[in-house]
Amino acid sequence: MVGLSCGENHFIQGGIAQDLRCDGRKRLAYRPISVETGVIPQANGSARVRMGATDVIASVKCRLNFESQACCNLIKEKSRYILTAVQLQSQLLRSHSIGFRGRGGDELAAELSIALQRCLLGGKSGTAVVLMLVFFFSGAGINLSSLIVVERKICWDLYIDGLVVSSDGNLLDALGAAIKAALSNTGIPRVQVAAETSNNEQPEVDVSDEEFLQFDTAGIPVIVTLTKVGRHYIVDATSEEESQLSSAVSISANRQGNICGMTKRGGVGLDPSIILDMISAAKHVSDQVINKLDSEIASAEAEEES
Amino acid sequence: MEFVSPEGLRLDGRRPMEMRQIRAEIGAVSKADGSAIFEMGNTKVIAAVYGPREVQNRSQQISSHALVRCEYSMANFSTGDRMRKPKGDRRSTEISLVIRQTMEACILTHLLPRSQIDIYVQVLQADGGTRSACINAATLALADAGIPMRDFVTSCSAGYLNSTPLLDLNYVEDSAGGPDVTLGILPKLDKVTLFQMDSKLPIDILENVMQLAIEGCKAIASYIREILLENTNQLEYRRGV
Repeated sequence: MVGLSCGENHFIQGGIAQDLRCDGRKRLAYRPISVETGVIPQANGSARVRMGATDVIASVKCRLNFESQACCNLIKEKSRYILTAVQLQSQLLRSHSIGFRGRGGDELAAELSIALQRCLLGGKSGTAVVLMLVFFFSGAGINLSSLIVVERKICWDLYIDGLVVSSDGNLLDALGAAIKAALSNTGIPRVQVAAETSNNEQPEVDVSDEEFLQFDTAGIPVIVTLTKVGRHYIVDATSEEESQLSSAVSISANRQGNICGMTKRGGVGLDPSIILDMISAAKHVSDQVINKLDSEIASAEAEEES
Repeated sequence: MEFVSPEGLRLDGRRPMEMRQIRAEIGAVSKADGSAIFEMGNTKVIAAVYGPREVQNRSQQISSHALVRCEYSMANFSTGDRMRKPKGDRRSTEISLVIRQTMEACILTHLLPRSQIDIYVQVLQADGGTRSACINAATLALADAGIPMRDFVTSCSAGYLNSTPLLDLNYVEDSAGGPDVTLGILPKLDKVTLFQMDSKLPIDILENVMQLAIEGCKAIASYIREILLENTNQLEYRRGV
């Protein structure tokens, strides 16, 4: 996507090998993250995250879902768990590089949506399923039971949308952080349901405009992408560094230290021991990132209130 | 339904001749050559300009002046109900065309032959008047990119409900079914570059409504001028002048 000469390629790879990247960072250091919440007042929750020149906006919108069919979807042991339509779509504001024109942009958007869905929501059942190069585990970040209004009848549908305003590498991490911030900014309106309703009728609901329930975001994971360049891996690659990648692994880990999802990109095969090594490096980095992000979100919300 | 109360107040508390609050910010997208965010009340749009740069499709290259392309899209979360198809639908194509023609009229394209200028406008929040907000944002973004222009293009909408000409309609007033006039002018040259209207209106009232819209455009033009002056001062300050 970025046109680099041979000399520039060598420079980037050499720098990474010596733990000194082009902008002076160490291999496992993130760019400064800045968070702004409430950028879209019409949405239930929104946030804008900037990591260097990468700029993304995430918004969360809620809608009541009355179809009991959708609410009764799956799962075996825990029948209380309701699959809501948490959809993720990424749109790209076209950039100047040719890779994003026309189809290229849509493919990248689809890839990001699926990766985010896997990392934040996890799979349907309790078993780990191997699907090509993607592994996913269940019951991940969002506690779906908090979205129930009436068991088996009414639930909230969450629509999470991501918009990439400007891309300079590491879109997945930025989108993950923006979604986490948007969810902590989300207020779900309180709903009063009329008591007397027969089973077939649609119950009367009164959606409050004043009172909001804050979403519980303690368990939402943060995505850390490790890009392997040569024999070392770096965190938070810029678009020039990403053009050098041989493979990249994105791991989402939450505060409790659990791994919620994992994706591997890139054509080069990885030795299993390297993958385990990357996982432990990612967990170590994710602790710092979670702390940093939580403090940024808290200060952004405080600023929004004032 | 009553859009103007007997005391002369509209649904959101404005007077008929009052515009919504406008706010603009230059340089929102760091990777673009020029960019701006423009807000008119609750309507918020972001515009990014890339160019002048080499024409991507050689067959479209024009040897005597620049090629201007424009793309308008709405974010999924921009309207009240989440939209399914953000671009490629008829309305977006039409608005892209309208914005392109409007901006083409003001850019000095003969100074930049064989090049391409791309304008991308994205609506983050829609509350009526998105067309106007997009044109205003595109003007700011073009100025930020340093592309030579004849004059700014500013745009504002006006309507006629309950026998009163109203300036700057929001979504509720727009969907009332009354006439909706969107006007785009070059303020210094005093020329109209965009004129669109829905529904029907007697000609003498149309003159009044159009005059009102021109006033609105001129007010936006003075605001845009202020913003750009402020921006230039900032740039000078950073250069140490």
